[in-house]
Amino acid sequence: MGWAKYQEDIVSRWVNDNHARRARRADTTPTQRKGTAVPKQEKHMSKLKEFTMSSARPLPVIVLADVSGSMSANGKIDALNDAVSEMIATFAEEDDTRAEIHVSVIAFGGGGASIHKPLRPARETRWEPMSAAGRTPMGEAFELARTMVEDRDTVPSRAYRPTLVLVSDGVPTDDWRAPLATLLTSERASKATRFAMGIGADSDRETLTAFLANDEGRVFEAHEAREIKNFFRWVTMSVTTRSRSANPNSVVMVEPTDLDEFDF
Amino acid sequence: MVQHTYIFGASVRGPLHRSEGRPNEDAWLHARGPFGTLAVVCDGLGSRPNARAGARAGCAAVKEAVSRWSKADDAPLSYLSHLVEVLWRLRLHPTPPDSAATTCLLALATINGRCIVGGVGDGLALVRTGADLRVIVGDRGEDFANETKGLGASTGPRAWTLAEFPPTDAERVAVLATDGVADDLLPERLDGFCDWLIESFEPLPPRERHCRLAAELRAWPTPGHLDDKTLAVVHSPPPVHEEST
Repeated sequence: MGWAKYQEDIVSRWVNDNHARRARRADTTPTQRKGTAVPKQEKHMSKLKEFTMSSARPLPVIVLADVSGSMSANGKIDALNDAVSEMIATFAEEDDTRAEIHVSVIAFGGGGASIHKPLRPARETRWEPMSAAGRTPMGEAFELARTMVEDRDTVPSRAYRPTLVLVSDGVPTDDWRAPLATLLTSERASKATRFAMGIGADSDRETLTAFLANDEGRVFEAHEAREIKNFFRWVTMSVTTRSRSANPNSVVMVEPTDLDEFDF
Repeated sequence: MVQHTYIFGASVRGPLHRSEGRPNEDAWLHARGPFGTLAVVCDGLGSRPNARAGARAGCAAVKEAVSRWSKADDAPLSYLSHLVEVLWRLRLHPTPPDSAATTCLLALATINGRCIVGGVGDGLALVRTGADLRVIVGDRGEDFANETKGLGASTGPRAWTLAEFPPTDAERVAVLATDGVADDLLPERLDGFCDWLIESFEPLPPRERHCRLAAELRAWPTPGHLDDKTLAVVHSPPPVHEEST
Protein backbone atom coordinates (compact mmCIF):
# COMPACT_ATOMS: atom_id res chain seq x y z
CA MET A 1 0.00 0.00 0.00
CA GLY A 2 1.34 3.44 -0.90
CA TRP A 3 0.48 6.90 0.39
CA ALA A 4 -2.61 8.56 -1.07
CA LYS A 5 -1.71 11.35 -3.41
CA TYR A 6 -2.80 14.95 -2.78
CA GLN A 7 -6.51 15.45 -3.56
CA GLU A 8 -6.98 11.75 -4.19
CA ASP A 9 -10.25 10.32 -3.03
CA ILE A 10 -8.95 8.25 -0.10
CA VAL A 11 -12.28 6.64 0.73
CA SER A 12 -12.65 5.39 -2.83
CA ARG A 13 -9.14 4.05 -2.69
CA TRP A 14 -9.94 1.98 0.35
CA VAL A 15 -13.08 0.49 -1.17
CA ASN A 16 -11.38 0.05 -4.51
CA ASP A 17 -13.83 2.40 -6.16
CA ASN A 18 -12.27 4.35 -9.01
CA HIS A 19 -15.40 6.32 -9.90
CA ALA A 20 -14.04 9.67 -8.70
CA ARG A 21 -10.76 9.18 -10.48
CA ARG A 22 -12.54 8.22 -13.72
CA ALA A 23 -14.71 11.35 -13.48
CA ARG A 24 -11.63 13.50 -13.10
CA ARG A 25 -10.00 11.88 -16.10
CA ALA A 26 -13.11 12.37 -18.20
CA ASP A 27 -12.83 16.14 -17.58
CA THR A 28 -9.35 16.30 -19.02
CA THR A 29 -8.57 16.64 -22.73
CA PRO A 30 -6.91 13.80 -24.66
CA THR A 31 -3.71 15.85 -24.85
CA GLN A 32 -3.62 16.20 -21.08
CA ARG A 33 -4.20 12.46 -20.66
CA LYS A 34 -1.08 11.80 -22.70
CA GLY A 35 0.85 13.54 -19.98
CA THR A 36 1.33 16.96 -21.54
CA ALA A 37 1.65 19.58 -18.81
CA VAL A 38 -1.30 21.92 -18.51
CA PRO A 39 -0.18 25.54 -18.87
CA LYS A 40 -0.39 27.30 -15.53
CA GLN A 41 -2.67 30.03 -16.90
CA GLU A 42 -5.21 27.49 -18.10
CA LYS A 43 -5.48 25.89 -14.68
CA HIS A 44 -6.94 29.10 -13.25
CA MET A 45 -8.56 31.25 -15.91
CA SER A 46 -9.19 34.60 -14.31
CA LYS A 47 -12.13 36.65 -15.52
CA LEU A 48 -10.11 39.79 -14.95
CA LYS A 49 -9.13 39.86 -18.64
CA GLU A 50 -12.74 40.60 -19.52
CA PHE A 51 -12.56 43.94 -17.72
CA THR A 52 -9.10 45.18 -18.67
CA MET A 53 -7.39 46.65 -21.73
CA SER A 54 -5.69 44.08 -23.90
CA SER A 55 -2.97 46.41 -25.20
CA ALA A 56 -0.14 48.31 -23.55
CA ARG A 57 -0.43 52.05 -23.05
CA PRO A 58 0.03 53.92 -26.33
CA LEU A 59 3.08 56.06 -27.01
CA PRO A 60 1.96 58.32 -29.90
CA VAL A 61 4.40 59.60 -32.53
CA ILE A 62 2.97 62.20 -34.93
CA VAL A 63 5.05 63.24 -37.96
CA LEU A 64 4.32 66.59 -39.62
CA ALA A 65 5.78 66.10 -43.09
CA ASP A 66 6.35 68.87 -45.63
CA VAL A 67 5.18 67.60 -49.04
CA SER A 68 5.35 70.95 -50.86
CA GLY A 69 6.57 71.10 -54.47
CA SER A 70 10.17 71.88 -53.46
CA MET A 71 10.41 68.47 -51.76
CA SER A 72 10.32 66.80 -55.16
CA ALA A 73 13.78 68.20 -55.98
CA ASN A 74 16.99 66.22 -55.34
CA GLY A 75 15.13 63.09 -54.22
CA LYS A 76 14.03 64.65 -50.93
CA ILE A 77 10.47 63.28 -50.98
CA ASP A 78 11.75 59.80 -51.84
CA ALA A 79 14.25 59.94 -48.99
CA LEU A 80 11.52 61.15 -46.61
CA ASN A 81 9.17 58.33 -47.69
CA ASP A 82 11.91 55.76 -47.18
CA ALA A 83 12.89 57.19 -43.78
CA VAL A 84 9.32 57.29 -42.41
CA SER A 85 8.62 53.81 -43.78
CA GLU A 86 11.78 52.48 -42.10
CA MET A 87 10.85 54.18 -38.82
CA ILE A 88 7.36 52.62 -38.82
CA ALA A 89 8.84 49.20 -39.62
CA THR A 90 11.29 49.52 -36.71
CA PHE A 91 8.50 50.55 -34.35
CA ALA A 92 6.40 47.60 -35.56
CA GLU A 93 9.20 45.18 -34.69
CA GLU A 94 9.46 46.45 -31.11
CA ASP A 95 8.00 43.70 -28.98
CA ASP A 96 9.67 43.91 -25.59
CA THR A 97 8.29 47.30 -24.69
CA ARG A 98 6.43 48.99 -21.88
CA ALA A 99 4.34 50.92 -24.38
CA GLU A 100 2.77 50.30 -27.77
CA ILE A 101 4.08 52.83 -30.30
CA HIS A 102 1.33 54.45 -32.38
CA VAL A 103 2.18 56.48 -35.48
CA SER A 104 0.37 59.15 -37.48
CA VAL A 105 1.62 61.20 -40.43
CA ILE A 106 0.22 64.64 -41.23
CA ALA A 107 1.25 65.77 -44.71
CA PHE A 108 1.17 69.47 -45.56
CA GLY A 109 1.52 70.62 -49.18
CA GLY A 110 -0.62 71.05 -52.30
CA GLY A 111 -4.22 71.27 -51.14
CA GLY A 112 -3.45 71.97 -47.46
CA ALA A 113 -2.68 69.78 -44.48
CA SER A 114 -4.26 66.34 -44.27
CA ILE A 115 -3.90 63.16 -42.25
CA HIS A 116 -1.89 60.87 -44.51
CA LYS A 117 -1.91 58.11 -41.89
CA PRO A 118 -4.28 58.18 -38.91
CA LEU A 119 -2.93 57.41 -35.43
CA ARG A 120 -2.72 53.60 -35.24
CA PRO A 121 -0.34 51.03 -33.74
CA ALA A 122 2.81 50.92 -35.87
CA ARG A 123 2.38 47.18 -36.43
CA GLU A 124 -1.01 47.86 -38.05
CA THR A 125 0.24 50.72 -40.25
CA ARG A 126 0.93 50.00 -43.93
CA TRP A 127 3.01 52.77 -45.43
CA GLU A 128 1.92 54.45 -48.66
CA PRO A 129 4.41 56.95 -50.16
CA MET A 130 3.55 60.64 -50.18
CA SER A 131 3.92 62.79 -53.29
CA ALA A 132 5.16 66.39 -53.33
CA ALA A 133 3.32 69.36 -54.84
CA GLY A 134 2.16 72.91 -54.11
CA ARG A 135 2.80 75.27 -51.20
CA THR A 136 3.83 74.88 -47.53
CA PRO A 137 0.73 75.29 -45.31
CA MET A 138 2.57 74.54 -42.05
CA GLY A 139 0.08 76.46 -39.89
CA GLU A 140 -2.67 74.06 -40.96
CA ALA A 141 -0.46 71.14 -39.96
CA PHE A 142 0.09 72.64 -36.48
CA GLU A 143 -3.66 73.01 -36.06
CA LEU A 144 -4.30 69.46 -37.22
CA ALA A 145 -1.65 68.07 -34.83
CA ARG A 146 -3.08 70.04 -31.91
CA THR A 147 -6.62 68.82 -32.67
CA MET A 148 -5.36 65.23 -32.80
CA VAL A 149 -3.51 65.38 -29.47
CA GLU A 150 -6.31 67.24 -27.69
CA ASP A 151 -8.88 64.65 -28.83
CA ARG A 152 -9.05 62.13 -25.99
CA ASP A 153 -10.68 59.51 -28.21
CA THR A 154 -7.63 59.62 -30.47
CA VAL A 155 -4.97 60.04 -27.77
CA PRO A 156 -6.48 58.57 -24.57
CA SER A 157 -5.52 59.73 -21.11
CA ARG A 158 -3.76 56.43 -20.43
CA ALA A 159 -1.31 57.24 -23.25
CA TYR A 160 2.20 58.38 -22.52
CA ARG A 161 3.23 61.86 -23.61
CA PRO A 162 3.20 62.09 -27.42
CA THR A 163 6.14 62.91 -29.68
CA LEU A 164 5.75 65.47 -32.48
CA VAL A 165 8.23 65.43 -35.38
CA LEU A 166 8.34 68.37 -37.83
CA VAL A 167 10.14 68.02 -41.16
CA SER A 168 10.28 70.92 -43.66
CA ASP A 169 12.47 72.26 -46.45
CA GLY A 170 10.96 75.74 -46.84
CA VAL A 171 9.23 78.78 -45.45
CA PRO A 172 5.56 78.40 -44.43
CA THR A 173 3.15 79.94 -46.91
CA ASP A 174 0.29 80.43 -44.45
CA ASP A 175 -0.08 82.10 -41.06
CA TRP A 176 1.80 79.66 -38.82
CA ARG A 177 2.42 81.83 -35.75
CA ALA A 178 -1.11 81.76 -34.29
CA PRO A 179 -1.64 77.97 -34.77
CA LEU A 180 1.83 77.27 -33.31
CA ALA A 181 1.15 79.53 -30.32
CA THR A 182 -2.15 77.67 -29.75
CA LEU A 183 -0.36 74.32 -29.97
CA LEU A 184 2.38 75.38 -27.57
CA THR A 185 -0.10 76.68 -24.98
CA SER A 186 -2.74 73.96 -25.29
CA GLU A 187 -3.24 71.71 -22.27
CA ARG A 188 -2.06 68.45 -23.81
CA ALA A 189 -0.14 69.22 -27.00
CA SER A 190 2.16 71.56 -25.07
CA LYS A 191 3.42 68.54 -23.09
CA ALA A 192 4.56 66.69 -26.23
CA THR A 193 8.22 65.96 -26.89
CA ARG A 194 9.19 67.76 -30.10
CA PHE A 195 11.80 67.10 -32.80
CA ALA A 196 12.48 69.31 -35.84
CA MET A 197 14.49 68.90 -39.04
CA GLY A 198 15.20 71.47 -41.73
CA ILE A 199 16.11 70.09 -45.15
CA GLY A 200 18.44 72.13 -47.34
CA ALA A 201 19.54 75.76 -47.21
CA ASP A 202 16.04 77.14 -47.84
CA SER A 203 14.47 75.67 -44.67
CA ASP A 204 13.09 78.24 -42.25
CA ARG A 205 15.15 77.90 -39.09
CA GLU A 206 13.05 80.46 -37.23
CA THR A 207 9.87 78.37 -37.60
CA LEU A 208 11.60 75.13 -36.68
CA THR A 209 13.24 76.67 -33.61
CA ALA A 210 9.91 78.22 -32.55
CA PHE A 211 8.30 74.77 -32.89
CA LEU A 212 10.82 73.26 -30.45
CA ALA A 213 10.22 76.16 -27.98
CA ASN A 214 13.05 74.82 -25.88
CA ASP A 215 16.39 76.51 -25.26
CA GLU A 216 18.10 73.13 -25.17
CA GLY A 217 16.31 71.81 -28.24
CA ARG A 218 18.25 71.64 -31.48
CA VAL A 219 17.07 71.73 -35.04
CA PHE A 220 18.57 68.88 -37.04
CA GLU A 221 19.84 70.10 -40.41
CA ALA A 222 19.90 67.80 -43.41
CA HIS A 223 22.00 69.09 -46.26
CA GLU A 224 21.44 66.10 -48.45
CA ALA A 225 18.74 63.48 -48.84
CA ARG A 226 20.56 60.68 -46.98
CA GLU A 227 20.69 62.81 -43.83
CA ILE A 228 16.89 62.67 -43.67
CA LYS A 229 17.26 58.98 -42.84
CA ASN A 230 19.81 59.78 -40.12
CA PHE A 231 17.35 62.15 -38.49
CA PHE A 232 14.57 59.58 -38.46
CA ARG A 233 16.95 56.99 -37.03
CA TRP A 234 17.66 59.46 -34.23
CA VAL A 235 13.92 59.92 -33.65
CA THR A 236 13.41 56.15 -33.79
CA MET A 237 16.15 55.53 -31.22
CA SER A 238 14.77 58.19 -28.89
CA VAL A 239 11.24 56.78 -29.07
CA THR A 240 12.22 53.12 -28.73
CA THR A 241 14.54 53.97 -25.82
CA ARG A 242 11.56 55.63 -24.14
CA SER A 243 9.24 52.71 -24.85
CA ARG A 244 11.73 50.26 -23.33
CA SER A 245 12.56 52.44 -20.35
CA ALA A 246 11.21 51.85 -16.86
CA ASN A 247 9.05 54.93 -17.16
CA PRO A 248 8.07 55.67 -20.78
CA ASN A 249 6.73 59.06 -19.71
CA SER A 250 10.23 60.29 -19.03
CA VAL A 251 11.73 62.16 -21.95
CA VAL A 252 14.75 60.36 -23.36
CA MET A 253 16.74 62.42 -25.83
CA VAL A 254 19.33 60.18 -27.42
CA GLU A 255 22.27 62.27 -28.54
CA PRO A 256 22.58 62.25 -32.34
CA THR A 257 26.27 61.39 -31.87
CA ASP A 258 25.15 58.01 -30.50
CA LEU A 259 24.27 57.16 -34.07
CA ASP A 260 27.94 57.12 -35.02
CA GLU A 261 28.12 53.46 -34.16
CA PHE A 262 25.50 52.72 -36.82
CA ASP A 263 26.52 51.95 -40.34
CA PHE A 264 24.79 54.41 -42.66
CA MET B 1 -33.25 47.09 9.81
CA VAL B 2 -29.91 45.25 9.81
CA GLN B 3 -27.20 46.01 7.29
CA HIS B 4 -23.74 44.51 7.23
CA THR B 5 -21.05 46.24 5.22
CA TYR B 6 -18.30 44.11 3.71
CA ILE B 7 -14.87 45.60 3.18
CA PHE B 8 -11.84 44.06 1.53
CA GLY B 9 -8.88 44.97 -0.63
CA ALA B 10 -5.25 44.34 -1.48
CA SER B 11 -2.14 46.19 -2.57
CA VAL B 12 0.80 44.78 -4.53
CA ARG B 13 4.10 46.11 -5.82
CA GLY B 14 4.24 46.70 -9.58
CA PRO B 15 6.87 45.39 -12.03
CA LEU B 16 8.68 48.76 -12.11
CA HIS B 17 9.33 48.83 -8.36
CA ARG B 18 10.15 45.11 -8.34
CA SER B 19 12.79 45.64 -11.02
CA GLU B 20 14.23 48.66 -9.18
CA GLY B 21 14.15 46.96 -5.78
CA ARG B 22 11.89 49.68 -4.40
CA PRO B 23 8.98 49.06 -2.03
CA ASN B 24 5.30 49.38 -2.79
CA GLU B 25 4.48 53.11 -2.85
CA ASP B 26 0.73 52.51 -2.73
CA ALA B 27 -1.00 52.15 0.64
CA TRP B 28 -4.51 51.20 1.70
CA LEU B 29 -6.39 51.06 4.96
CA HIS B 30 -9.72 49.72 6.13
CA ALA B 31 -11.34 50.56 9.43
CA ARG B 32 -14.59 50.19 11.30
CA GLY B 33 -15.66 52.46 14.11
CA PRO B 34 -18.40 54.75 15.38
CA PHE B 35 -18.18 56.54 12.04
CA GLY B 36 -19.06 53.39 10.07
CA THR B 37 -16.91 51.50 7.57
CA LEU B 38 -13.99 53.25 5.88
CA ALA B 39 -11.62 52.35 3.05
CA VAL B 40 -8.72 54.56 1.95
CA VAL B 41 -6.39 54.09 -1.03
CA CYS B 42 -3.30 56.27 -1.60
CA ASP B 43 -0.72 56.21 -4.40
CA GLY B 44 2.55 57.98 -3.59
CA LEU B 45 3.78 59.91 -6.61
CA GLY B 46 6.69 57.91 -8.00
CA SER B 47 8.87 60.89 -8.73
CA ARG B 48 8.88 62.05 -5.08
CA PRO B 49 11.52 60.73 -2.65
CA ASN B 50 9.13 60.22 0.28
CA ALA B 51 6.22 58.83 -1.75
CA ARG B 52 5.82 55.72 0.40
CA ALA B 53 5.70 57.69 3.64
CA GLY B 54 3.28 60.15 2.04
CA ALA B 55 0.89 57.39 0.97
CA ARG B 56 0.90 55.78 4.42
CA ALA B 57 0.42 59.12 6.13
CA GLY B 58 -2.45 59.81 3.73
CA CYS B 59 -4.31 56.69 4.83
CA ALA B 60 -3.77 57.45 8.53
CA ALA B 61 -4.75 61.10 8.09
CA VAL B 62 -8.05 60.15 6.42
CA LYS B 63 -8.94 57.76 9.24
CA GLU B 64 -8.21 60.41 11.86
CA ALA B 65 -10.07 63.08 9.89
CA VAL B 66 -13.14 60.89 9.38
CA SER B 67 -13.19 59.99 13.06
CA ARG B 68 -13.23 63.68 14.07
CA TRP B 69 -15.45 64.91 11.24
CA SER B 70 -18.16 62.31 11.85
CA LYS B 71 -18.62 63.48 15.45
CA ALA B 72 -20.01 66.81 14.26
CA ASP B 73 -23.57 66.44 12.99
CA ASP B 74 -24.09 67.65 9.44
CA ALA B 75 -20.57 69.01 9.10
CA PRO B 76 -19.89 70.12 5.49
CA LEU B 77 -17.93 67.72 3.29
CA SER B 78 -15.39 70.44 2.61
CA TYR B 79 -14.36 70.29 6.30
CA LEU B 80 -13.35 66.68 5.75
CA SER B 81 -11.00 67.47 2.86
CA HIS B 82 -9.53 70.42 4.76
CA LEU B 83 -8.95 68.19 7.80
CA VAL B 84 -7.21 65.52 5.73
CA GLU B 85 -4.92 68.10 4.11
CA VAL B 86 -3.89 69.53 7.52
CA LEU B 87 -3.57 66.19 9.35
CA TRP B 88 -1.53 64.72 6.49
CA ARG B 89 0.92 67.62 6.68
CA LEU B 90 1.10 67.34 10.47
CA ARG B 91 1.87 63.63 10.28
CA LEU B 92 4.67 64.28 7.80
CA HIS B 93 6.15 67.36 9.45
CA PRO B 94 9.01 68.32 9.10
CA THR B 95 9.15 66.40 5.80
CA PRO B 96 8.27 68.82 2.97
CA PRO B 97 4.80 67.91 1.64
CA ASP B 98 5.84 68.09 -2.00
CA SER B 99 8.50 65.43 -1.40
CA ALA B 100 5.80 63.01 -0.19
CA ALA B 101 2.97 63.88 -2.58
CA THR B 102 0.29 61.21 -2.89
CA THR B 103 -3.13 60.68 -4.37
CA CYS B 104 -5.85 59.97 -1.81
CA LEU B 105 -9.21 58.25 -2.34
CA LEU B 106 -11.75 57.31 0.34
CA ALA B 107 -15.07 55.50 0.65
CA LEU B 108 -17.07 55.82 3.87
CA ALA B 109 -20.30 53.94 4.61
CA THR B 110 -21.69 55.67 7.69
CA ILE B 111 -23.65 53.83 10.36
CA ASN B 112 -26.84 55.61 9.32
CA GLY B 113 -26.53 54.39 5.73
CA ARG B 114 -24.99 57.40 4.01
CA CYS B 115 -22.06 56.91 1.66
CA ILE B 116 -19.23 59.38 1.02
CA VAL B 117 -16.82 58.71 -1.81
CA GLY B 118 -14.13 60.75 -3.54
CA GLY B 119 -10.66 62.16 -3.10
CA VAL B 120 -7.87 63.94 -4.88
CA GLY B 121 -5.68 62.72 -7.76
CA ASP B 122 -6.00 60.00 -10.34
CA GLY B 123 -7.17 56.41 -9.99
CA LEU B 124 -10.78 55.36 -9.67
CA ALA B 125 -13.49 55.99 -7.08
CA LEU B 126 -16.94 54.77 -8.09
CA VAL B 127 -20.25 54.12 -6.40
CA ARG B 128 -22.99 51.83 -7.66
CA THR B 129 -26.36 52.13 -5.97
CA GLY B 130 -28.71 49.51 -7.36
CA ALA B 131 -28.06 49.78 -11.11
CA ASP B 132 -26.92 53.41 -10.99
CA LEU B 133 -23.12 53.51 -11.41
CA ARG B 134 -21.33 56.81 -10.90
CA VAL B 135 -17.63 57.49 -11.31
CA ILE B 136 -16.63 60.16 -8.80
CA VAL B 137 -12.88 60.15 -9.52
CA GLY B 138 -11.63 58.69 -12.78
CA ASP B 139 -11.22 61.39 -15.39
CA ARG B 140 -7.60 62.45 -15.89
CA GLY B 141 -8.66 65.70 -17.53
CA GLU B 142 -5.80 67.03 -19.64
CA ASP B 143 -3.14 64.82 -18.05
CA PHE B 144 -1.37 61.88 -19.64
CA ALA B 145 -0.39 58.63 -17.92
CA ASN B 146 1.48 59.08 -14.61
CA GLU B 147 0.61 62.77 -14.34
CA THR B 148 -1.71 63.73 -11.51
CA LYS B 149 -2.67 65.97 -8.64
CA GLY B 150 -2.64 64.87 -5.02
CA LEU B 151 -1.91 65.75 -1.41
CA GLY B 152 1.21 67.91 -1.63
CA ALA B 153 0.87 68.24 -5.42
CA SER B 154 -2.18 70.42 -5.96
CA THR B 155 -3.91 73.57 -4.88
CA GLY B 156 -5.10 72.01 -1.62
CA PRO B 157 -8.70 71.15 -0.67
CA ARG B 158 -10.08 72.84 -3.82
CA ALA B 159 -8.64 69.98 -5.89
CA TRP B 160 -10.80 67.45 -4.00
CA THR B 161 -13.95 65.82 -5.36
CA LEU B 162 -16.24 64.32 -2.73
CA ALA B 163 -19.78 63.07 -3.27
CA GLU B 164 -22.37 62.11 -0.67
CA PHE B 165 -25.15 59.58 -1.24
CA PRO B 166 -28.22 59.28 1.03
CA PRO B 167 -29.28 56.06 2.79
CA THR B 168 -30.91 53.54 0.49
CA ASP B 169 -32.63 50.17 0.56
CA ALA B 170 -30.77 49.17 -2.59
CA GLU B 171 -27.44 47.33 -2.75
CA ARG B 172 -24.51 49.76 -2.74
CA VAL B 173 -20.87 49.15 -3.62
CA ALA B 174 -17.95 51.57 -3.67
CA VAL B 175 -14.71 50.64 -5.43
CA LEU B 176 -11.42 52.49 -5.00
CA ALA B 177 -8.36 51.80 -7.15
CA THR B 178 -4.98 53.40 -7.83
CA ASP B 179 -4.06 54.29 -11.42
CA GLY B 180 -2.15 51.02 -11.87
CA VAL B 181 -5.56 49.33 -11.86
CA ALA B 182 -7.84 52.15 -13.00
CA ASP B 183 -6.00 53.13 -16.20
CA ASP B 184 -6.28 49.61 -17.61
CA LEU B 185 -9.97 49.02 -16.83
CA LEU B 186 -12.43 49.12 -19.72
CA PRO B 187 -14.84 51.98 -18.91
CA GLU B 188 -17.79 50.09 -20.39
CA ARG B 189 -17.09 47.04 -18.18
CA LEU B 190 -16.97 48.75 -14.78
CA ASP B 191 -20.36 47.31 -13.91
CA GLY B 192 -19.17 43.77 -14.59
CA PHE B 193 -15.93 44.48 -12.74
CA CYS B 194 -17.91 45.39 -9.60
CA ASP B 195 -19.97 42.20 -9.90
CA TRP B 196 -16.84 40.12 -10.39
CA LEU B 197 -15.21 41.57 -7.26
CA ILE B 198 -18.28 40.94 -5.12
CA GLU B 199 -19.06 37.46 -6.44
CA SER B 200 -15.48 36.18 -6.58
CA PHE B 201 -13.99 37.54 -3.38
CA GLU B 202 -16.64 38.56 -0.87
CA PRO B 203 -17.71 35.00 0.06
CA LEU B 204 -14.12 33.92 0.80
CA PRO B 205 -12.56 33.84 4.29
CA PRO B 206 -10.60 37.09 4.85
CA ARG B 207 -7.12 35.60 4.60
CA GLU B 208 -7.87 33.63 1.44
CA ARG B 209 -9.72 36.62 -0.02
CA HIS B 210 -6.70 38.85 0.44
CA CYS B 211 -4.34 36.26 -1.05
CA ARG B 212 -6.58 35.64 -4.05
CA LEU B 213 -7.11 39.32 -4.76
CA ALA B 214 -3.39 40.07 -4.42
CA ALA B 215 -2.64 37.18 -6.78
CA GLU B 216 -5.02 38.65 -9.36
CA LEU B 217 -3.33 42.03 -9.08
CA ARG B 218 0.13 40.48 -9.44
CA ALA B 219 -0.97 38.60 -12.55
CA TRP B 220 -2.42 41.77 -14.10
CA PRO B 221 -3.31 40.89 -17.71
CA THR B 222 -2.64 44.19 -19.53
CA PRO B 223 0.70 43.99 -21.40
CA GLY B 224 3.47 46.34 -20.33
CA HIS B 225 1.89 47.34 -17.01
CA LEU B 226 4.30 48.97 -14.56
CA ASP B 227 2.57 50.55 -11.59
CA ASP B 228 1.86 49.34 -8.07
CA LYS B 229 -1.75 48.16 -7.84
CA THR B 230 -4.22 48.70 -5.05
CA LEU B 231 -7.91 47.96 -4.89
CA ALA B 232 -10.48 48.34 -2.10
CA VAL B 233 -14.18 47.45 -2.04
CA VAL B 234 -16.88 48.60 0.38
CA HIS B 235 -20.08 46.65 -0.22
CA SER B 236 -23.42 47.09 1.54
CA PRO B 237 -25.94 44.44 0.42
CA PRO B 238 -29.62 45.38 0.63
CA PRO B 239 -30.61 45.73 4.31
CA VAL B 240 -32.50 42.86 5.91
CA HIS B 241 -35.71 43.94 7.61
CA GLU B 242 -36.14 41.90 10.81
CA GLU B 243 -39.64 40.65 11.41
CA SER B 244 -41.08 41.67 14.76
CA THR B 245 -42.30 38.79 16.90
